[in-house]
Amino acid sequence: MLREVLQAVEEADGPITLNELSRRLQLDAGVIEAMLEHWARKGKVNVDRDSGAACARMPVTCSCGSNPGGADCPFVARLPRSIPVVRQADIRDNTQL
Amino acid sequence: MITTGFVSADSRVLSVALAGNPNAGKSTIFNALTGARQHVGNWPGKTVEKKTGELFLDGRRLNITDLPGTYSLSAYTLEEIVARDFLLEERPDVVVAVVDATNLERNLYLVVQLLELGLPTLLVLNMMDVAGEQGLDIDTVELSLSLGVPIVPTVASREQGIDDVIAGACRAATEPANPCLPEYLPQVEREIARLQNIINEHDAIRDVYSPRWLALRLLEGDSDVAERVGSLPGGSSLLAEAIERGAVLAAELEEDVDLTIADQRYRWIHALVGRVVRARPAHSLSRSDRIDRFVTDRRFGIPIFLLAMWIVFKFTTDLSAPWVDWLDAVLTGPVSRWAVAVLGAVGMGGTWVESLVVDGVIAGVGGVLAFIPVLAALYFALAILEDSGYMARGAFVMDRMMNRIGLHGRSFLPLMVGFGCSVPAIYATRTLTNNRDRILTGLLVPFMSCGARLPVYVLFAAIFLPRSSSLVILGLYLLGVIVAILVGLTLQRTILPATAAPGLVMELPPYRLPNWRGIRNNVWLRTRSFLQHAASLILVTSMAIWLLMAIPTGGQGSFADTPMADSAFGRLSTALTPVLRPLGFGSWQSGGALISGLVAKEVVISTMAQTYGTEATEDVGQPTTFFGDLLEIASSFIQAVIDTLKAIPGMIGINLGSAEESGEPELSAAIRSSFETTSGGHAAAAGLAFMVFVLLYTPCMATIAAERHEFGRRWAILSLVGQLIIAWVGAFIVFRLGVALGG
Repeated sequence: MLREVLQAVEEADGPITLNELSRRLQLDAGVIEAMLEHWARKGKVNVDRDSGAACARMPVTCSCGSNPGGADCPFVARLPRSIPVVRQADIRDNTQL
Repeated sequence: MITTGFVSADSRVLSVALAGNPNAGKSTIFNALTGARQHVGNWPGKTVEKKTGELFLDGRRLNITDLPGTYSLSAYTLEEIVARDFLLEERPDVVVAVVDATNLERNLYLVVQLLELGLPTLLVLNMMDVAGEQGLDIDTVELSLSLGVPIVPTVASREQGIDDVIAGACRAATEPANPCLPEYLPQVEREIARLQNIINEHDAIRDVYSPRWLALRLLEGDSDVAERVGSLPGGSSLLAEAIERGAVLAAELEEDVDLTIADQRYRWIHALVGRVVRARPAHSLSRSDRIDRFVTDRRFGIPIFLLAMWIVFKFTTDLSAPWVDWLDAVLTGPVSRWAVAVLGAVGMGGTWVESLVVDGVIAGVGGVLAFIPVLAALYFALAILEDSGYMARGAFVMDRMMNRIGLHGRSFLPLMVGFGCSVPAIYATRTLTNNRDRILTGLLVPFMSCGARLPVYVLFAAIFLPRSSSLVILGLYLLGVIVAILVGLTLQRTILPATAAPGLVMELPPYRLPNWRGIRNNVWLRTRSFLQHAASLILVTSMAIWLLMAIPTGGQGSFADTPMADSAFGRLSTALTPVLRPLGFGSWQSGGALISGLVAKEVVISTMAQTYGTEATEDVGQPTTFFGDLLEIASSFIQAVIDTLKAIPGMIGINLGSAEESGEPELSAAIRSSFETTSGGHAAAAGLAFMVFVLLYTPCMATIAAERHEFGRRWAILSLVGQLIIAWVGAFIVFRLGVALGG
């Protein structure tokens, strides 16, 4: 089951929604999430926990032209949680650049 | 069979641990059990909240600990480590496993791990009411028999079943339990049995750990458990054996042992749920799913996204236009007159101070403040898209485009933030794990049109292409995206090569009606940020530009009384005109505005208001009364309301009469006249070229500083120089095309 989930994501032609994946595999979305968490532990996918608050990871204040970041950053874009598959070349790229 | 040999020495005191997935209702049950007898603190040395409480029943005291919500006991997150440490070290008399009945299959994974741990367990099936509403029919008797543990159904939010939880916990702590656990592949069971035999030979290990659980964890390669076991007598020989057997097993299975074990657990749970859930809703399409089939479709997704963006800009420009005119009239009229009157009253009339206040601060900062309605309208429209759930679909649709330039879908987040402000967007690239993706995304962010550039587009589109201003603005935003894609493709094929981005799962929220309070806060926070900017950076820059315009050069005039073209700012800006002449806007005013725009894009408008605006503020000395000014402000306000109401049906093509024409503002007329001159009669083409240049050249020095900070000097210089070249080439092409087409 675990391999089927990863395979379905890798073989999807472009991005796929969690609900669509749930329908394709006939599994609860919650179970698929759990399995993707498992793959995240194995370093095969990244579970983006903070996509809705990217600015929150940054320094103190956030305004265009001054200092960026801050949990109250007005430009935080609330985007969907995304779970991308990790490229095998990523580790190599990180050491080269 | 596992016996319950863990009851506290004092049988009147029972230690109870509440475990479960996040949001399973664990804390609600904890509150219902303990009431006011709670203690809240932190787990020793951890930032995770620890909640304990007491319950007295028939002379017994139940010490209840609410463990952090976790999905497993793998010691991967801080919460998992805290929960597992407590269960291993404190060995509670009973574990109450709280399960969300609506998400049974996922929740049972933790339950299975708890059972493997060998502690007496009571299963609480919570949210049974919601499960019923969803059409789920769970056979609790069959589930109890299959797991070999007692089960109590509850609706914790209504305190239903709480008494049964207390009674069940007391019983489970004292009665022998016989849990049914997953049976793994024969090869795995063989190794479990082998390790169990070794564990049973060492009392020091067997007394602390359930042999089966420990054998499983060691085979799964749990380093935390291995470290603990290694320090016990007989631990090192056990570890050596576990490592060897784990390697043998992995070779036999041709995959990691932990994967096989987890997979078997999932399969066992899936089969169990298939037996005990008698009726369940099919994986059918919800209303949001049905809409998504159309909205995120390969063919229709991008056209729908473009249509949504066009509506946003139509709304932004049409509805804010009357308010921009109103604010502009108030700032250049009554406010300027009041400033002159006050300065005159304190003996500063006609001095350089008056020039600084009127020509520097009011013309500069006021010129930018007039565009607040535009930004507020844009933020409002975007907040609606965000809150309704559509923006998430936009991200989904655009992800395909990101993939074409070898970027991961996650890169879309910084690029989206870039539409608000480039600086936090550069820092948002920290969410990307790959250096190459970070640098490429960071280089593309400046091409996303930040909010500060919008006033320039609104002003210039209104001057040169008034009939299609919303289309022009949408076109500029799209041009930024197209240029980013082209730059991305170029970099991908040259200095930043990448393999194709692999798959991506997105969790799209269901569509919903926007929450007006949230939208109001969102608009206010973003508009306030712009106002703070106006009160600081724009004010200082406006004053600096006024100072440079006040300094005479070439021996003509005196301080604050010199022709602007002969001022220090005029001379500096004139030096740039040869470079700008081929683009159709080779005036010193345009050059000056673009130079100051390097500080911040908002300053482009304020500089133009200052360099073109002297004549516009000459009427400030005209005598009027204070109440006359108030009346003028009120009447123009009412006119703005009427014009806005007229604009609403106009957006969908219903004309209820055009907004009252108040004549072209002086600044617009001055810009038009200047561009007519510098472009040889092709003012519209030059105006469009100017907008393209503003879109594509460096957003601000803070962006370059952020790029230098994040990616290093080399990439920051490449970004700065690259953007200037691209902006010049882009503006040149647009101007020449415009001239060729007769613009």
